[in-house]
Amino acid sequence: MLRAVRSFRMAAWLGWQIESNWTDPFLFAVYSIIKPIAGAAILVVMYGVITHGDFDSPLFAYIFLGNAFYIYVGSVMTGISWAVIEDREHYQTIKYIYIAPVHFPTYLIGRGAARFLTGSMSVVITLVAGVLFLNLQLDPRAINWPMFFAALAAGLTMLAAMGLLLGGITMQIASVIYFVGDAVAGALYLFSGAIFPLEVMPAWLRPVGFVMPLSYWLELLRRSLLGELAGGFPTFARFSNAQLFGILLGLTAAFALIAAVAFRLCEQRARERGMIDKVSNY
Amino acid sequence: MQAIRTEQLGRIYKLRDRKKGEARELVALADVDLEVPQGELFGLLGPNGAGKTTLIKILTTLLGPSSGRAWVAGHDVVQEPQQIRPLINMVSGGEYSGYGLLTVRENLWMFSQFYGIPSKLANQRIRDLLGVVGLSDRLNTKTSELSTGLRQKMNIVRGFMTEPRVLFLDEPTLGLDVGAARDVRAFIRDWMRQRPDSTVLLTTHYMVEADELCDRVAIINGGKVLACDSPAVLKRQLQREAIFELDVGPLNGVTPEQLRAIPGVRRLVHRPAEGGAALELMLEEESVLPAVVGWLADGGVTLRHLQNREPTLEDVFVKLVGMRMEEVEGDAVD
Amino acid sequence: MQSTSPTRLSLFLQTVVARAYPRIIAQHRRERSWIFFEVLLPMLAVSAYVFVYRAIGAPESYVGFVVVGGAMIAFWANILWQMSSQLFWEKENGNLSLYVMAPTSLMAILLGMAVGGMSATLLRAIGIVLLGTLFFHVQFSLGSVWLLFLTFTLTMVALYGMGMMFSSLFLLLNREAWHLSNMAQEPVYLFSGFYFPVKSLDFWVALGASIIPLTLGLDALRQLVFADGASIGFLSVPVELAGLAVLSVVFVVGSRRMLAHMEKLAIREGRLTESRR
Repeated sequence: MLRAVRSFRMAAWLGWQIESNWTDPFLFAVYSIIKPIAGAAILVVMYGVITHGDFDSPLFAYIFLGNAFYIYVGSVMTGISWAVIEDREHYQTIKYIYIAPVHFPTYLIGRGAARFLTGSMSVVITLVAGVLFLNLQLDPRAINWPMFFAALAAGLTMLAAMGLLLGGITMQIASVIYFVGDAVAGALYLFSGAIFPLEVMPAWLRPVGFVMPLSYWLELLRRSLLGELAGGFPTFARFSNAQLFGILLGLTAAFALIAAVAFRLCEQRARERGMIDKVSNY
Repeated sequence: MQAIRTEQLGRIYKLRDRKKGEARELVALADVDLEVPQGELFGLLGPNGAGKTTLIKILTTLLGPSSGRAWVAGHDVVQEPQQIRPLINMVSGGEYSGYGLLTVRENLWMFSQFYGIPSKLANQRIRDLLGVVGLSDRLNTKTSELSTGLRQKMNIVRGFMTEPRVLFLDEPTLGLDVGAARDVRAFIRDWMRQRPDSTVLLTTHYMVEADELCDRVAIINGGKVLACDSPAVLKRQLQREAIFELDVGPLNGVTPEQLRAIPGVRRLVHRPAEGGAALELMLEEESVLPAVVGWLADGGVTLRHLQNREPTLEDVFVKLVGMRMEEVEGDAVD
Repeated sequence: MQSTSPTRLSLFLQTVVARAYPRIIAQHRRERSWIFFEVLLPMLAVSAYVFVYRAIGAPESYVGFVVVGGAMIAFWANILWQMSSQLFWEKENGNLSLYVMAPTSLMAILLGMAVGGMSATLLRAIGIVLLGTLFFHVQFSLGSVWLLFLTFTLTMVALYGMGMMFSSLFLLLNREAWHLSNMAQEPVYLFSGFYFPVKSLDFWVALGASIIPLTLGLDALRQLVFADGASIGFLSVPVELAGLAVLSVVFVVGSRRMLAHMEKLAIREGRLTESRR
């Protein structure tokens, strides 16, 4: 346990050193603002063009909030798999870390912790922009903060588990590694109900969304932030908050178990194939 | 014609302390004047951080000087880099360049194309050179599957295969085992012998390498050239000094400081050895030796073995800098 | 066997072929999972935007816009990651100094990278168009194939010229290169109208965004392949083609000058061979 705590702490510190290593803080600020705002703006323009600017509709809040919190998927989940790539290909330190008495999976999760921080900045900036410029109905007095933080914590645990699974896969492959995280995050965008209700998908695809813990997580976040307005979203209307939490935690536990087992298998296979510290120079 | 010439060459790096926000300057090279005639194998000997790689980067048109001028094959490195590049090549020690997915042959072929060598000729040279360095059986091995030493051999072939008029070797045997390093040195010697018009500038911090290979050596430290001549002439400068190696029993309370205090003792290196000590003495002249031996005898120290040693380039370095190369590097780390 | 000095053109061509080689070979030697990660997964991301349009009740023609836009993203990603910031990765690997030191031009090296990456990029783009058409029943209405080919070619020339200009900037950068490339994704998707007709933006915003060749190229392609394309076009196809032609010349000539200038600057400031981040 102590080893895991030590590994996490050291990895989180290292991750922050890497993330904050900007020669130009101004550029960092611009990057932190422009990237999430532009991402949200794509959806805002799409929505605005078709609905002629009906930003008061609950559907707009649905889309906007889903997209905002989806930033965590890219940052935390991708951040963990990216740590494997960085340490293996760029810094070439993975072999030293791997053979050190650290708990390697916890180390990877710790590296994702710094990306959580930078992701949080992007989420906050996106939400503030929505409130200021797009009439997003977020009243701090009306937010169910305990539910929000509980959902956030559960979701981040879930994302860490998925990130670990992805990290394990990344350890086994060399030449497609760089955008694995982003590609998977992009694909999950489809199945998570982040930017459209699952009902829009063909019936044969919807079950995928219903087994994704992301779908429940985003729904809980929307409910905590929007309150009754979230009742207008049909997908999970028949589930109470407690039921959603239960499903989220159950799926998170399942994914965590799968991730733990799969990571171990992937790690073993990577070791057998000599992939742990293989530099592809690709 | 001078293959390489520098005039008051200098390079300063501006560094910024991230925590304190202060800017400071690092003088990597200062007032370097060198002339290397065509056909020479010229060595640049110095500790880590002496400025060897900086000098090579300037001469290979990768880095601009802060002051002074330099010419390679008669062309100014700043004004005429395009005229220089077809005539040169470089191999660095510990290189990781190339593409892991390509085979040895493919990597080398790719780089040959950047020099306009026809594919047929390039492949022939590649095969011949790989045979010389003992890599023929790895022609179709992916470079990501090569060990560090084999990868370095591949990079050495990359440097030689373009038949450069001036070749820069920046610590080319770094990371190679003793046998491989010896093979590389033999290869360099043979290559030079077969190409009297080609010039090689070799940087190293291995004294033996410089001594063995180089027609002339420049000793560099702290960005400055301290001496430049053939190894024999440089060592001859120390011939007034006498260098002895002593194998003694336990020192019985005789301290190295006491021995260093004996008039005429220039330098003493004391190394503990099994059952006693090894002493390396540099004396002003041979006649000082009896005083040292007498002091040891008076202290009851058994003298097991005494040997007169010829000066090495390391001794030259110590005389110029005042400490051994490892000590200079240790100071730099501190 | 002696080698005679190559002509400038033969050296340029040899370099393009040689530098394209690792990319082409890599396509064939990579783990086959690349098809999944670089074609199927991006297709899923494109599908998400299709479903957004369906959720908000957009006309079906918008589905086609998204599919074509999603396909063209492959080229922008190629510019950002396989070309512009590639010099940063080459610096990290130690290859950049070898390229600069060689008697060939950086333009040839970059063009080789672009040509080599083109096969993967084309596969991704075609894959998305085919899969998108299959799943979402996109209806194409193709007029002149030659005009389509001309539009695509001009777009690529201008785009890759722009990529070379970016590359020259990246000669001076370190870790910022990666961040700048990362930062240039979403804003370009937004202002170039990858997922919606650029006409939806303010005229002057769209005109400003036209400096990115994909803005005009994508708009022209949509007008040429969809029946109601002209109604959502920003400018007419001939005007957009003229714009692309101008951009092609400006970027190709500009990239040559900028590469030379930036190389000199990087050499003067010692930025070519800094190692780890």
